[in-house]
Amino acid sequence: MSETIKLAKKVFDAIRSNRKVLAGASILAVLLLLATLGAAIYKARFARDPTIPGTFYPSLYPSPEHPLGTDHYGRDILAMALVGLGNSLAVGMIGGFFATLIAVVIGFAAGYKGGLLDHALRSFTDTLLVIPTWPIFATLAAYVTIRSMPVFGLLVAAFSWPGAARAIRSQVLSLKNREFVQLAIITNLKTYEIIFFELLPNLLPYIVVSFSYATMGSIMAETALRFLGLGPPDVPTLGYLINIYIPMGYLSLMPFTMAFILILLAAIFVAFNLINIGLDEYFNPRLKKITGM
Amino acid sequence: MITSYLAITFTFFFMRLIPGNPIQSYVQALLAQGQYTMAEQAKQIVDTYLEMFGLKGDLLTQYVSFMKRLLLHFDFGPSLIAFPRRAQELILERLPWTLGLLGTSVVISWLLGTILGALAGWKAGSKLDRALVAFALAFSQIPFYVLAVFLVLLFGYILGWLPTGGAYNPLLKPGLSLEFIASVVKHAILPSLSLVLSTAFSWLLSMRSLVVTILGEDYIAFAEAKGLRKITIFQKYVVRNALLPQLTNLGISLGFIVSGSVVVETLFRYPGVGMLFSAALTGLDYNLVMAFIVLTTLAVLTASFILDLIYPFVDPRVSYGE
Repeated sequence: MSETIKLAKKVFDAIRSNRKVLAGASILAVLLLLATLGAAIYKARFARDPTIPGTFYPSLYPSPEHPLGTDHYGRDILAMALVGLGNSLAVGMIGGFFATLIAVVIGFAAGYKGGLLDHALRSFTDTLLVIPTWPIFATLAAYVTIRSMPVFGLLVAAFSWPGAARAIRSQVLSLKNREFVQLAIITNLKTYEIIFFELLPNLLPYIVVSFSYATMGSIMAETALRFLGLGPPDVPTLGYLINIYIPMGYLSLMPFTMAFILILLAAIFVAFNLINIGLDEYFNPRLKKITGM
Repeated sequence: MITSYLAITFTFFFMRLIPGNPIQSYVQALLAQGQYTMAEQAKQIVDTYLEMFGLKGDLLTQYVSFMKRLLLHFDFGPSLIAFPRRAQELILERLPWTLGLLGTSVVISWLLGTILGALAGWKAGSKLDRALVAFALAFSQIPFYVLAVFLVLLFGYILGWLPTGGAYNPLLKPGLSLEFIASVVKHAILPSLSLVLSTAFSWLLSMRSLVVTILGEDYIAFAEAKGLRKITIFQKYVVRNALLPQLTNLGISLGFIVSGSVVVETLFRYPGVGMLFSAALTGLDYNLVMAFIVLTTLAVLTASFILDLIYPFVDPRVSYGE
């Protein structure tokens, strides 16, 4: 538990001392507020749930009543955008969580066990990094019907784990040869004890960074899938909204509505990118010398 | 070689293990049309189709016949959405569009990013450098497809300057007329711009960090001490060394062109292989999807192979043999 508190303090320190993390985290905080509190307050304006099809007249232009207009299903677009924002972030974080989990398991197995297992896992990960897996997983998304958000998150995670697995493996390898781990091995600690009490706490910063990267990777993969018209329509995300609104001609009919949705989506990427770079710099100070700012 | 074999095999089994048999539904649709009501005839038809699409027998037989067809005839079998044309025919027909659009974009973005990155690194800490880096850090990770919709919105609809989709004006006859070429270029601007804008920033950042690292090396200090002119140091010592890793990455990016084309082409309704793939996905076209995936894998592996071959010429320190 104390380890968690220490890590939280470290992350908090990183946020405070690094301008990039601070900027990214602020944007992300605003987006999260919009997606939760903002959505709830905005929805409460209406007598009925504004995201249910057929609630309003379809395809209304923006007005004080509907600041972004209504879509062709008769839903309030601002309400849809806020809900979509929340779903985009949620799918991304679920994807990021699964991807990190896969990466940690594979990275630890390969790095700690070594030998043949390491060799096999490493070639598998490297192959996935080298060949373009994107079309393969897009195919999977096209053939399999997905209805729930967690399953979709798991699919999206498939795109974003290999890089993290490689980073964690190399960290495990370098930690394994440090004195305190060697001492733990000599004192006959059980393998799971070494992994959970000696290695994992030291790797937590890397895992946090991996999670942040994987979350962004998942949101990217999710949006790209949506642009091809894939993914569950029951989970409307920002990418999904853009994909269904473009064929309706909303780019020319309601350009500012579309611009708003696009800015929300772009803000997600800017926020995560700033956080990723900042955390990288904080945990690997040598990098800072290279970027120099 | 081994990697490509493994990748193809992996893809094959992966595709076959995905549930849903498109041929069955295709044939059922045929039967439902009422043309073939006799049970005997229907069975024959299903058989013929299964044979034609290489779906006969158990998984292993299918695999062997698939590999045989692929290796001996470079044939992926008929496509479903454009039956009875062969999958590889369709792809080859679309390939020039993709290579033209994405190849040009990747090279332009590489040149732009590398030049700006070299300047930023050389003048590290200056106002220009700080502005470029701040901008690049914020925007380098916005995916090109998000940027693309922005650009379409701005230039296509709000300003109305450029066409929003397609590869050329459909009223013109394809040919070598000036009008047609102008139309092609005009249609390529928006998709290309979105790719260039979104990737040039990462080229800038990588080139800049390479240059900054090299500037800290002892041989640069020595060159300065020798009294070499600044421009000579910049060209011959700094840029020359930083170009090598940049070139490697350019090669890798060129290999990923085909797989990267899917979203941008679908978005702009550009008639390249990417849009074909997206149509094949919606139409559940086994053979076409298969052919596309094999092509993307081969493209990446070929690019890295060619890189290995030309590396000794670019970098005198690398040599094979001896």
